[in-house]
Amino acid sequence: MKTTLALVAALLSLTLVTGPAGAQGKPELTVALSSFSTEVLDPVLGGHIVKYYLSLMFDYLVGVTPDGQPSKDGGLATRWEPSQDHRRWTFHLRRGVKFHTGEEVTAEDVKFSLQRAIGKRSTTGYAGPLRTLIQDIETPAPDRVVIVTKEPTLIIPTYLSRSLSTEGMILPKKYLEANGDDVFARKPVGSGPYRFVEQVTGSHIKLTAVDSHWRIGAPKYKTVTFKLVPEETTRVALLRRGEVDIADVSRDRVAELEREGFPIHMRREEAVLTMWWILPRDNQPTKDKRVREALNLAVDRSELAQSIFAGKAEPAFVPMGLSWSYRDLGFKVTPEMHYPYDPARAKALLAEAGYGGGFSMDVYAYQLPGLPEGRAFAEAMAGYWQKIGVKIKLIPVDYPAFRKNWFDRATPGAVGYYNIANRDWIGTYALIEKMAYSKSKASDVVNDPEIDGMLEQVPRQTDKEKIGVLMRNVYTRLRSEHYGVPVVYLHSPYAASKKLGKWTIGTVMYDFFIDELASSK
Amino acid sequence: MPAESTVPDALAPPFPALGAAPPLGRGRRLPFLSLTIIGGFVLVALLADVLSPADPEAQSLRARFTPPVWDARGTWAHVLGTDRLGRDLLARVIWGARVSLMAGVLTVLLASAFGAAVGLVAGYYRGRVDAALMRVTDATMSFPVILLALILAVTVGPSFTNVVIAIAVILWARYARVVRGQVLTLMELDFITQARIAGASAWRIITRHLLPNTLNTLVVLITLQIGYVIIVEASLSFLGAGIPPPTPAWGSMIAEGRDFVTSAWWVSFFPGLAILLVVLAFNLLGDWLRDTLDPKLRQL
Amino acid sequence: MLRFVLARLVQSLAALAILTVVVFVLARATGDPLQLILPMSASEEDYANARQYLGLDRSYVEQYLSFVGKALTGDFGNSLRARRPVIELIRDRLPNSLKLAAFAMTVSLLMAFPLGVLAAVRKGTAIDRAAQVIAVLGQSLPTFWVAIVLIEVVAGRLQWLPAAGSERLASYVLPGFTLGWFVVAGMMRLLRSGMLEVLDSEYVKLARVKGVAEHRVVWLHALKNALIPVVTFAGIYFSILVTTAIVVETVFAWPGLGRLAYEAITSRDFPVIQAVVLTTAAIVALVNLSVDCLYAFIDPRIRYAG
Repeated sequence: MKTTLALVAALLSLTLVTGPAGAQGKPELTVALSSFSTEVLDPVLGGHIVKYYLSLMFDYLVGVTPDGQPSKDGGLATRWEPSQDHRRWTFHLRRGVKFHTGEEVTAEDVKFSLQRAIGKRSTTGYAGPLRTLIQDIETPAPDRVVIVTKEPTLIIPTYLSRSLSTEGMILPKKYLEANGDDVFARKPVGSGPYRFVEQVTGSHIKLTAVDSHWRIGAPKYKTVTFKLVPEETTRVALLRRGEVDIADVSRDRVAELEREGFPIHMRREEAVLTMWWILPRDNQPTKDKRVREALNLAVDRSELAQSIFAGKAEPAFVPMGLSWSYRDLGFKVTPEMHYPYDPARAKALLAEAGYGGGFSMDVYAYQLPGLPEGRAFAEAMAGYWQKIGVKIKLIPVDYPAFRKNWFDRATPGAVGYYNIANRDWIGTYALIEKMAYSKSKASDVVNDPEIDGMLEQVPRQTDKEKIGVLMRNVYTRLRSEHYGVPVVYLHSPYAASKKLGKWTIGTVMYDFFIDELASSK
Repeated sequence: MPAESTVPDALAPPFPALGAAPPLGRGRRLPFLSLTIIGGFVLVALLADVLSPADPEAQSLRARFTPPVWDARGTWAHVLGTDRLGRDLLARVIWGARVSLMAGVLTVLLASAFGAAVGLVAGYYRGRVDAALMRVTDATMSFPVILLALILAVTVGPSFTNVVIAIAVILWARYARVVRGQVLTLMELDFITQARIAGASAWRIITRHLLPNTLNTLVVLITLQIGYVIIVEASLSFLGAGIPPPTPAWGSMIAEGRDFVTSAWWVSFFPGLAILLVVLAFNLLGDWLRDTLDPKLRQL
Repeated sequence: MLRFVLARLVQSLAALAILTVVVFVLARATGDPLQLILPMSASEEDYANARQYLGLDRSYVEQYLSFVGKALTGDFGNSLRARRPVIELIRDRLPNSLKLAAFAMTVSLLMAFPLGVLAAVRKGTAIDRAAQVIAVLGQSLPTFWVAIVLIEVVAGRLQWLPAAGSERLASYVLPGFTLGWFVVAGMMRLLRSGMLEVLDSEYVKLARVKGVAEHRVVWLHALKNALIPVVTFAGIYFSILVTTAIVVETVFAWPGLGRLAYEAITSRDFPVIQAVVLTTAAIVALVNLSVDCLYAFIDPRIRYAG
C-alpha cells in the first residue's frame, strides 16, 4: 500500500514539473494531420493522400512548382522532350543524385520504379490509365529514359510529376531487389531531402534530414515529424502549446485562430464540392433534365458558403468544374452559367416534369478528409430540397460503404458527393475520365455519349488548342445538362505556429510543399 | 412434513418484494432529487409535442449559432440558442429527451429480459445447458460493445434501432451472469426442493419462484444501466455510429457541438447538461435502490 | 487445484473459440475492403487481382480455417490496409493500451479509495451522498466531452499539460484521468458496500472491543477485506477501460488498441478486426482466470462450487 502510494506520488510529481514544451529555435518541424489515409510508406500501395510525407522522402521524375506546374528544377529530370509523333518521351536525368543508401540514381531505377508503379500490385490513382498507355520503357544511357506510348499523348510528364499521384516517385532498384517489398514498405529508401526514421502506426511518422540535397540545400530542420491527430480540439491545443508547427484546421476555427495571431495558410479553391446521382438514370426522376436543373436551383450556394463553410468557400456552378484548369483550357464560367437561388422556379420545373407532388430521394451523408462539415452539409442540402417538395431520406454511412453502392449501382438515383481536389488541365482530364466517361467505368456518374466521344479524343490529341476546345465542350455540356450539383469551391485552412517562417503552401494536391520551409537555398 | 397437501405457492419464501422493502430509516430516505429529475425528464419526453417551441429539425442557416436569450445577441425566438444548422436547441433538447430516454430504457429492457431468461434457464438446468450458455455469455462479455456497434453501423448504417440492438446484444450477458448466480444459490434452498417434490413444473418454478427472487437485483441493475446506455450511445455518436442526425439525440448533439466548445459553447452544453442530470439521477437512484433492496449486490 | 485451473482454462478457451466464429462473420459483414484500397479507376481485373493477392478470393470456410490455424501460432495474417503483419500492429499498440489502462486504474483507485471509505464510514450523511455524487459524476458525462473540455482548458488555455501523445509521463495525466474517472463510480460502489459489510461483521466488532483505534479498524481491517470484490471485477474493469478507450484514444491521439480497432473497422481490415477483438478478449479472459484461480487458492470451497 505504502509503496503504491509512493509510486503514485512520484508519478504525479514528475508530471507536474513538466511544463509546456519550449518551442524556441527548435531544429524540428512537426505537422499534425487529421488523417493519414492508409499510412503505407510504399508509394505504389498508397494512392495520393499520403504524399505529405512521401514527397520529402522521394524525388519525382518530374518536379513541379508550388502551384503544380511541371518544372525542370524540382524533379530528377532536368529536361524532357517528345518525339515528333508524341509517342516517345525522352527524360534527361540529373546527375549525381544519390539514394539514402549511397547509390546513385540511374535510368535503371527510373525504369524499375515506373514498371513497379504500373504493375499489378500497384494501387495508385493512375496506375490503370498509365498501364494502358505505356508500351515500353527504354534506358539508352544511365542518364536517359525513354517512355514509349501506344498512342500519341501529351499527358506523360504531368502523370509522372509531383502534381498528381505517386507513380512518378523514383525508388532504389537494388535495395528493393535485395530486400524485397516487405522490408521496403517498413524501411523505405528514397533520394529525397529527408530519410525515413520510424513509423508508429496510428501515431506518427518521423523523418530526418540528409546533409545536403539538390532540391533544398542543407535542410533547415533536422527532423520532420508527421503526427496523426484526428480530433480538431487536440490539434489546436497542440498548436497553442507550440508542440506542433503546422496543423490542418476546420474552416469554422479560422476566425478564432486568426484572432489569437496564428498565421493561416489558405489553399484557395483546394477542392470543388460536387454532388451527383448514382446511375443508372432510367426510371429515375433525375432522368429528366428539368428535375436536375430544379435540384440545382433549389440550393442557396452563397448562404451555404457563408454558413456551413464559415465564409471560406465560393459558389460553384459547373459539375466537376476544376477551376485550376480553366485558364489553361481557356474556359470561362459565364454569368449565364450561374445557378441563381430560385426555389419558385425549381418548383415550377418539377411541376413541368410531372413531379409537382414531389418525389423521394435518398441522400448519403458522410464525412471525408478535408470535409469535416460532411454530414452537416448533407443535412443542409436535404433542407433545401425539402423546401421544394422533394422528400429526402438522409442515409448516414461512411465513405467506403457509399463508394460500394455507387460503383455497384445498387441504389440508382441516390445522391453522394466528394470534395474533388482541384488540379490543372491534365489532372482534370484524369478526373473527368474517371467520373464522366461511361465505357466500362463503375465510377461514371454522367453516362452521356456526346461527352464520351469528346473524352476519347483528348489523350490522343497532341494539339493543345484542340484539347482546349474538347475540354471546354465537355465542361459546357456537363453544365448545360446539369450532370450533378456543383456546390462550392472549398478553401482549406492550415494553421501555422507563430514562429514558422515564410511558407508558400502551394497548390499541389495532398502535398504541402514543405520544400520551401526547409530550404536553405 | 405434509408434502402432498401443500400447494407450491404456499411455500413461497420470505423474499423482500419491492413493496416490502425494509422500513425507511436513516439513510433510506427516498432520493427525492433523483426522482424529481427523472420524473421531470420523463414528462418532458412524453409531452415533447406540446412543450417544444419549434420543429426540432427545421433549419435556418441564417440563424445558425444564435446564442441563448440572455446573451446580448440572443433572441426569445431561440431561448437556448441554435446549432450549426440554425435549429432550435431548446426544441432539440426537449425532443432529445424522448429519443435518448427511449434508447436507454428500451435497450436495458431488451437486454435484461433476454439476459434474465438465459440466467434462469442456465441456473435452473445446470450441467451442460449451464456450461454452454455460460460460454456464450463469456464470449459476449468479452466483445467490446462499442466495437460491435461500430461494426453494425458500417454494415447496415447507424440508426436508432441498430444502436439499441448493438448495445442490448452485448449488455444481456451481464444480466445473465448475475441472475444465474442468484438462481444457483436459490436452487440450494429448501423451498425450491419442496416445490419440485410437490411436482411443480420447470416453467412454474422458474416464473413463480426463481424470477421473483431475482427481481430486486434486476431492478437495481436496470436502473444503474439506463445511464450507462445513454452514455454509450453518446460515445457512439462521437465515433459516427450513434443515433444519426437530424434525429435529435443528446449524444449526437454533443458530438456535433464539440468543435464549437469555444466559439458556440451552448451547442454542446445544454444537451450535455441534460445527459449529466439524467444519468446522474439514474445512477443515484440505482445506488439508493441497491442500498435498499439488495445491499449485497456486487456489480459495477 | 490443478483440475480447477484446467477446467477454467478449458472454459475460457471455449468462449474464445465461439468468439472466433462471431468475429470472423462480423468482420466480413462490414463490407468490401477493396473500396478503400483500390483507386476509382480500378478495373474488374484489378479487383480480381487484388482479391487474389490479399487472399480474399478463397471460400469463407477456407479463410476461417486459415485464420484459426494461423492464430493458434500467434499469426493473425497481414493487415489489408497497412500491408504489414497484424501482429506488428498489435505489438505497436498493445503496450500503449496497457499503460493507459494501468494509469487509469491507478487514478480511479486513488479516487475511489477515499470516497468509498468515507461514504461507508459516514453512511447516510451528507458526506456519503457527496462522495457518491463525485464518483458518479465521472460516469454521467460522455468521456469525449470531458476529454475535449480538459484539452481545451488544461492543455490549450492554461498550458499545464500536454494535449496528446504518449511519449512523456505528463501525457498520461489527461487521458488517464478522463478514463479513470469514468470507472470510479463502479469501484467506489464496490468499496463502499464491501466496507459496510465488513464494518458490520463480528470480527471488526471484536477488533473494536479489543480497543483497536477506530482509524486502524477502518484502514487496516475493513479495507483489506473490502478490497476483495474490487479485485474480483478486475477483468470487467479492464474490458470497460478498453471499450471506453476507443473514444479517449481518438481525442488524445493515443496510439492504442481501441484506435486500431476503429481504424480497422472503418477500413474493413478483417484480419486486424479479428486480431484486436481476440486479443482483448484473451486478456480479459486471462485476468478473470487469474482472479478465479487466486480465489480458489485462498478459499478451497470455490473449487467445487463451479
